[in-house]
Formats: sequence, structure tokens, C-alpha cells
Amino acid sequence: MLETSRMQAELHLDKMPVEQPAYFKAFGAYLYTVLHRVEDPVARVLLVGPFASERHRSYLPWVRWARYLAARRIEVLRYDYRGIGESSEAFEEMTFTDWSQDVALLAGWLESQSPRVPLVLHGLELGALLAGRAFHHGTGDALLLWSPPANANQALRSILVRWVGMVQMLRGGDERKSAGDYISQLERESWLEVDGYSWSSRLWQDSFHFAMPAALCKEDTACARYDRPVRLVQLGKEAAPLAKGGSAGYDEARDFTWLFGPNAEWIEDALVLCLKGKNVPGN
Amino acid sequence: MYQATETRELITLGGVGVLVQGTYHRPRRQNGGAATGLSELNRTGVLFLNSLSVPRSSTGDSAVYWADSFAACGYPSFRLDLPGLGDSDGAIPGELLDFINAGGYKSIAAAKVRELCRRFGLSGVVIVGHCAGAITALYAAGECHECKGLILMDPYFHLAKAVRPKVRLALSDWARRSRVGGFLSDVYDLVMKCRLHLFGGSLPANANVALIGRWKQVASAGMPILLLKAPGLKSSGAKPRAGNFDYLTHVLKLAGHRSDVVVRFIEGADHSFANRSGRALVRKHAESWLTAHFSAGVPEGGAMNSSSPEEGDGVNGRHRCMTV
Repeated sequence: MLETSRMQAELHLDKMPVEQPAYFKAFGAYLYTVLHRVEDPVARVLLVGPFASERHRSYLPWVRWARYLAARRIEVLRYDYRGIGESSEAFEEMTFTDWSQDVALLAGWLESQSPRVPLVLHGLELGALLAGRAFHHGTGDALLLWSPPANANQALRSILVRWVGMVQMLRGGDERKSAGDYISQLERESWLEVDGYSWSSRLWQDSFHFAMPAALCKEDTACARYDRPVRLVQLGKEAAPLAKGGSAGYDEARDFTWLFGPNAEWIEDALVLCLKGKNVPGN
Repeated sequence: MYQATETRELITLGGVGVLVQGTYHRPRRQNGGAATGLSELNRTGVLFLNSLSVPRSSTGDSAVYWADSFAACGYPSFRLDLPGLGDSDGAIPGELLDFINAGGYKSIAAAKVRELCRRFGLSGVVIVGHCAGAITALYAAGECHECKGLILMDPYFHLAKAVRPKVRLALSDWARRSRVGGFLSDVYDLVMKCRLHLFGGSLPANANVALIGRWKQVASAGMPILLLKAPGLKSSGAKPRAGNFDYLTHVLKLAGHRSDVVVRFIEGADHSFANRSGRALVRKHAESWLTAHFSAGVPEGGAMNSSSPEEGDGVNGRHRCMTV
């Protein structure tokens, strides 16, 4: 009981909120955003998070990452994709083009904020693909990608495989279907329900063609090609539940300092390069 | 940047020194317009709590779907992130499930129910919880008079563990996919069933006694409770797997003659209830249950002992298990 009381006490806050949740009106929809506002920021980061059901699994460490950056005077904007989480619209009607537009719009908004400071795009898994493509088209001063897939199909496939693993835990004998069976079903029928989200066969087909720009497949070629700082990080099982699943209610409380620390330092180093590379007003 | 859309509003509750973030789904009038001002007064609200560590939108955003639906029926609906979860600040304990099983969130959840009632002029709140969220809902219900009802989705009454040993997981997986494993699994069930009979159906060692006590307190006082069950592995209807203790039957007995508990077995749902058929059936049965007890968001002459017209007379003290 004492332990419970102590934990309850830790849940009480003694500071004012600096996190501002809001809706951002975009393309007739409302995007749910949370701005981790800081006084006199040294940089701004747009966090392009994981996709659909992966959002729920990785939400807590993702939010902690945003807070970690904000504590280092890096202003952060994170958001929910259109049709997912707190954002409006029907998930099954959304396309990769819609989600790319969201990235461009929010990055543009961050760039327009005062004082002008470098903008870093940071994406995780499918979010890495969206961030990478936006960067390729000239958005952002630096790019940080965690577990970037070669194309959207690779990201969808790994979500599907994880979901099938969970489904199989609750089914036995003839009821069990393999990931291949579900993929066949998705190709044969108009949609498949994956962890509460209706994936359309159109989304699946489009995912093969929604690829990472070739120059972003390797870090050294990317830096040379874009002349802007780029960092690619592959996350392993130790990064669960940020990536690769993990156990709900257990892995969220993990200490991610080993991941957050070096990546935040990389952002800070990248800022120096950004500021050398161009004359940023106000600095 | 906006704090509200036509139907939803982002809210921050800061009472008792604890900040929590949430979403408010405004109730809508019959003509589809959002209700404002006085029309919100004295309504019964519906509050969704986090299911374990999942953010307030819940698996597959099912809580968004249900909250939108209930608001369209006239019930002000709220989804909150408890401290440390979703967008709300605070640290979560390493063993989150143990914390929840011990009622770790009960005081804060109850305080937020009171705060919602004060701020929005509600006559009371129905708390909705799924899995671990149902445990917090049940604990909180006994902590505040403002809680007028409960919707519990797949609650559990034992001290569940977040992580099972790898060997056990592998063994279970093997049992599910191989013929020999399936046979041995059936033998295991049979042995467990015999063991259960030998011990005369007494509570298992890992029963959550504190939670069962809280259930008895709340249910026997006549609080309307809708309990939704999803099909489980090797189970039949709302009955547990052979050899497993039947907690549902046990707690229904404990509820006593004054209770108003409705049990629904949701065929076709998975444990999250987030799949299409599951969420649609939850919506249907929760709406009819809400309407029966809290008509159009306004309690009908003392909700605590009202009966459901859908089910006919003689509801109180009779527990109905139905497959839908």
C-alpha cells in the first residue's frame, strides 16, 4: 500500500503546462497537434510518428522523447496523422499523399514561427518515410530517421506481421492464419481489418510505390546529396515499444536515455552545421 | 490552431494539483446541433479511461468512435489520459499493471469524475473501462458518489501479469498450432478442471481480493453495471476455459439481490472490441443500456434502481447473460 501511495504522489505535478494540444485545420480536416513550447528555442523539430496501431504502442516513449528535446530548448511539434488518433477523418479514406501533405503543412507552419531557427524533421518507421520524402523535396534543415523502411509496404508488412502474431496467441488449430493468408485476403478483397484499422487494398497497392528516395538509403550518400545533416538509425528490440512491438504495460517505463541522449546531441551538432550552412536570421 | 472543432473540444483538468489532458465530445440535439449552455446541465456524462497504457483514443481509435456515438445520443462524453498516460504529464510506474491492479489510479480517477461534474454541470458520470481500464473504473466507482454507472469491457478479477515467461509463451504457442500440443492442452484443461472441483470452487491464490471486495460494495448497492465479454481462447460464451475459475459467476453471486448487472457476450469481438463487428455491437448495447438508465443523457428519476425496458421487468437482482 505504501508503494502505491508513493507512486500516486509521484503522479502529482508541480509545474505549469508547456505542452499545448490544439487542432490544426488542414484540407478540410482537423489535425491533432501538441506543441512542446520552449522559451527562446535553439531549434524546432517536427516529429512524424509511427503509423496507425503502432502509434498506440509507442505513444509513451514518443511523448517522452518530445519532452526530452523540449528540456534541451528544442521546440517540438508532434501530431496525429489524418484519420488516426485524435485527428479527424476516416482512416480508410486516407492516402499516402494526404499524409505527405500533412507533413509539408506542419513543417511550413513551424518554419514560419518566430524566432527563425533551424528545422529538423524526425520520423519513425512509416513516419521516417514521410519525413524523408519531405526533406527530399527541400523541407527542413536536417533529417533524423529512426528505422526508415525502403518503402511503405515494408512498414505495413511489419505492422501486419506483429498483429498476426498477437492474433495467433488467441487462436488455435484451424482458426490460425498466417501473415501470407492475410496478405492474400487483402489483395483479394477490398479491405482488411488490422488492429482496429481498416486497411484498404488500395492502400496496400499504393504502399509498394511509396518509396524512400534512393539518396536517403545510406547516410553518407544522403549528406553528400543534400548538403544538409542526415542521420539514419536502425532500432532493435531493445527499443521496444518505440519499435518492434514490446509488452504493453511493461516496456513503456523503460529508460530510453541510451537512445535519446546521442540523438539529441546529434541534433545539437547538426544545428551548428545548419547555422554555418546558411545565415539564419535572428542568430 | 483551435481548441475545439464543431463536435469536440480539447480540455485540461487541473483539480487536486493533477493535470490531465482529455477530449470532450459535445452532446448533440436531436436535430444534430451541438448542445450548449443550460442544455448541458444535469445530464449524465460518459467518461472513458485508458486501457492499460493505450492513449485515450484506445485501440483502433474505438473510444473516439464510441464517444462520438454517445455524444450523438445526447450524452456529454469525455476521454481522459490519466497521469503518466497519453498526453498527460507524470511518471508511470515500472509495473503499471500491478499499480492498476492495486487501484493506483482510483483516487485520481474519482477526483476527475467530481471535477467533470462541477465544470460541466453534470448530474453524474458513467465510467467506461476496458481491461485494465475496467479495473480502475470499478475502484473509482466506489470512491465517488458522482459515478452513477459502469460499463466494464472484459474486466478481470485476478492479479494479471504484464509479461509471461518466454518458455510459457513458447509452450502455449506450440500447443495452439500443433495437433499433439492441442491434445496435451486438452489434457491439461481436464487436470485443471479436476483440481478446481477438488478445491470446491474457492477463489484461486492469485484472485484480486481487494477488487472483488470493491465489486461487491458497488454492485450490491444497486449501481447499474453493463459488463461486456469478448470470446476468449478455448472458452464457450461468457464461460471461462475449462479448468479456469469462473470469476463471472462468482462476482454475480456476490452482487446480491439488489444489484442491477447486465452481462453481454459480444460474439465476433476480439479482446480489444475494436474490430468492426465488436465496436458496432458495443455501441448498440451500450446505447440501449444508457437510454434505459439515463434517458437522453438525463437520469430518469433515480438511476440507481431503474430497470431496462429492453429487458422487461424484474431486472434488479437478476443477472442476465446474453450472447449477441
